[in-house]
Amino acid sequence: MNKYIIPTILFLSPILAYAQNVDLATLPGRDTVQLTIYNSEDLTLVRETRHITFKQGLNSLQFSWAGTLIDPTSIEVRFKSHTDQLELLDSTFPHDRREMVYWNIQSELDGVAEVEISYFTSGLTWSADYVVISDPDEKELRIDSFIRVYNNSGEEYEDAQVRLVVGTINLVEQIAQLAQMPMDRVVQLGQSLQEADQDEYRQLKGRAAKKAISAAEAPAPTSEMMDQQVYHRKEVIKQGLSEYFLYSIEGTETIRNGWSKRMRSFGADAVAFKVQYRYRPAEYGDQMVKMFLLRNDTESKLGTTPLPDGTVQVFRDNGRDGLSFLGQQYVNYVPIGDMIELNLGPDPQVIHQLVRQKSWRDDFWFHRTGAKVYYSPTQGHKIEINDTVVGWQDHEQWVERVRNYSGKEVNIEIRRAFDGQVEYVSGLDPTLYDFRTPQIVATVPAGQIKDLAYQINRAQGTLAKQNNVTLKKG
Amino acid sequence: MRWTHYPLTLTLLLLMLLCATPTAQARIKLVTLPLRERVEIQLEHEQVTLVEEERIIPLAAGVNEIDFSWNNTAINKESIQFRAVSHPEQIKVLSVSYPPNENALVWCVSSSGDLSAKVRISYIIGGLQKSFIYKALASHDEKTLTLRQYLRLHNFSNEEYGNSGVWLGFGDYFQKQIGLNETKELLSARFDEIPIVKSYTCDPAEFDYLDRGKNQLMVPMHYVIKNTKEAGLGRFPLQPGKVRIFQDDGSGGNAFIGEDWGPFTPLDDQMRLYLGVAKDVVVKRTIKKNEQHRLLGNLFNQEIILKYEIENFKDKPVTLDIREALPYVRNESIGSRDRAVQWRLDNEQMHTDWRDTDPTRVDADTVMFHVPLPARSGEGKAEKLEFEIHLWIENEW
Repeated sequence: MNKYIIPTILFLSPILAYAQNVDLATLPGRDTVQLTIYNSEDLTLVRETRHITFKQGLNSLQFSWAGTLIDPTSIEVRFKSHTDQLELLDSTFPHDRREMVYWNIQSELDGVAEVEISYFTSGLTWSADYVVISDPDEKELRIDSFIRVYNNSGEEYEDAQVRLVVGTINLVEQIAQLAQMPMDRVVQLGQSLQEADQDEYRQLKGRAAKKAISAAEAPAPTSEMMDQQVYHRKEVIKQGLSEYFLYSIEGTETIRNGWSKRMRSFGADAVAFKVQYRYRPAEYGDQMVKMFLLRNDTESKLGTTPLPDGTVQVFRDNGRDGLSFLGQQYVNYVPIGDMIELNLGPDPQVIHQLVRQKSWRDDFWFHRTGAKVYYSPTQGHKIEINDTVVGWQDHEQWVERVRNYSGKEVNIEIRRAFDGQVEYVSGLDPTLYDFRTPQIVATVPAGQIKDLAYQINRAQGTLAKQNNVTLKKG
Repeated sequence: MRWTHYPLTLTLLLLMLLCATPTAQARIKLVTLPLRERVEIQLEHEQVTLVEEERIIPLAAGVNEIDFSWNNTAINKESIQFRAVSHPEQIKVLSVSYPPNENALVWCVSSSGDLSAKVRISYIIGGLQKSFIYKALASHDEKTLTLRQYLRLHNFSNEEYGNSGVWLGFGDYFQKQIGLNETKELLSARFDEIPIVKSYTCDPAEFDYLDRGKNQLMVPMHYVIKNTKEAGLGRFPLQPGKVRIFQDDGSGGNAFIGEDWGPFTPLDDQMRLYLGVAKDVVVKRTIKKNEQHRLLGNLFNQEIILKYEIENFKDKPVTLDIREALPYVRNESIGSRDRAVQWRLDNEQMHTDWRDTDPTRVDADTVMFHVPLPARSGEGKAEKLEFEIHLWIENEW
């Protein structure tokens, strides 16, 4: 197994140590490691502890990370024991050696101390995914949530405590970019970025990000914690953290470089949900789609955690000891209490047709050359031969026809937007979704056809004074 | 080293507890190869094929590592699921690991005892696709039709599935051998004595002219069937597919008379199967009158008479469907406009026979007439019928 991160104790004059080409070094092993992985950015906070033997006087500690994706600006060393006997004097990034730092440490201790080294790395990521299975009658769901951790960091992290951060943080520089630059370039890049971006908002965001990462920090696991072997299905412990959620995987995990590992995060049985058919051209295209709707709350046997972004695969128990694939979609982060909307696409058993039945015009207004007023025959004005039409009312009769062959009553919802100044006349009790989008809901019994009829009156030309829809009972 | 008898391989590693204490990256294994006990191929989804297979695997008490790998098959890695069918309370999937640069995954499964477990593995696979074809046999008198629907299952997944259950989501359930790289054709449904209407349609907007110089319209022929129970269909929506059409030749055989792509046809909808252009029904269309009537200012109504000269050279009577799209008519008569067409038929001015044509307002922009045409006379002469549509396009400027 390759190990690329190597702290070494040099037995050389500390001042000259990094000018030498021949070193004598000891290699203290990693005792514990904790990974805090963010899914909104390619960022992982690594905290590892090692036991290092110090001699009295000046000690030089070399830390190198060849072939990994560690951000050199983020590396910190901290003494966890004998803190009053150990003092970090300075950190040096040698100009001729990339991926290396030297720490000069003044020690009054002649013995072993526990040291924590922390740094940011890229290449460790995680994602969520979900498997949803409906019962044959589409009354209840079984939901399983999974997390998958990917290790392309170039480093093996054995028996690591893994913690995952749900939420979006801000970074002012990309870790993967910093990891592949020598330190002098990193400094130049930082200066140029700072000069280029003095915007107060970005600086505030940067501070917020650091605060968030700091808040996510927790003590590195103890050796006793690492020794625990867990053979039952591991729990993923969720806890709120400011604007974020922290998932901690029980015990430790080994995710080898290049591998990924998927584990169950939580499951919920007999989750109530609603089936709705929607016609929303702006969202789903010109088709009626079938939706599974549920809420991320305790009533739905969920609601213990926000649902991180991830792919949802939806199946239905086909009643023949097997599954039917219904669809797959990527859902964005769902806060606790918010709706989960799963689009299963068109259903061949529920047919929607949009039929324009009739069009006509009236209420004409005319313009006369040289006159500053408009003329309307319906207002008793005399219209002359050279007068031209400049305003009128368009009328259209529409039917939204829904045919239900699904074998059970279906709920439908139709949102159709109209441009211009529109009066929407209907006896369907429509509501306005927004200023230009009436919404109607209805149920269609099994095996029946329902015609949802309405009329559109649209003011055109000089008669159009607004750009909105008004509802009228009719 | 890997056993590669099948492109898709499930192996149970006899090295236990690997999940808890990972070994070096070399993946040399001693394995057992549990065979498939049952395979179900779910073709219900329009685009996606789901395979579910069951195997019996021996599990030891503790943590077991189950390796699932595939070569040259388009399995969607993210879709693979493992479920214990037997002993669900005793078996738990702890984690799934995905090795780099390999089409494989490793399940870590805990078992509370030594047992043989039936497990179900399901996944979405590419290359295992379905299509539908139809064979339609019309009776000699073209009054009824027998329709056979065939499922074609194309197995280019590079995996052999042996005796497998096949489910389309409708109709019958099948149990078939699905061999490697083979296409299997199954009779999935048969419908007898379906009433058909043979239609002759002219519609210059949709079908154009056969000879523009002579104003002769194209007259395509269709068999029209309705996907209803009354018509002997109506069990499920008809999937799209090629329809080969034959006709009983009246002497014990049948003749191929054409083919068409049948569209997806929901319940209660019509499937129209194009048979070709009728040469024995000649329709010439001219605009006999095109006159503007000023209303107010620049506002006017346009009076239009569309004249049809129709001859049926067939030895039997037929009904001609004349369809007119009013935006097309307006474009011909007064030019293009970007507003909806307001129109009406002039009942007073229409020919007295027009009411027999059952005029139908198909939608806001389309009108259709059904014109009965007598057969040609015994001497072979066809009667020339003249049919006029008198209409007004209103409130234009």
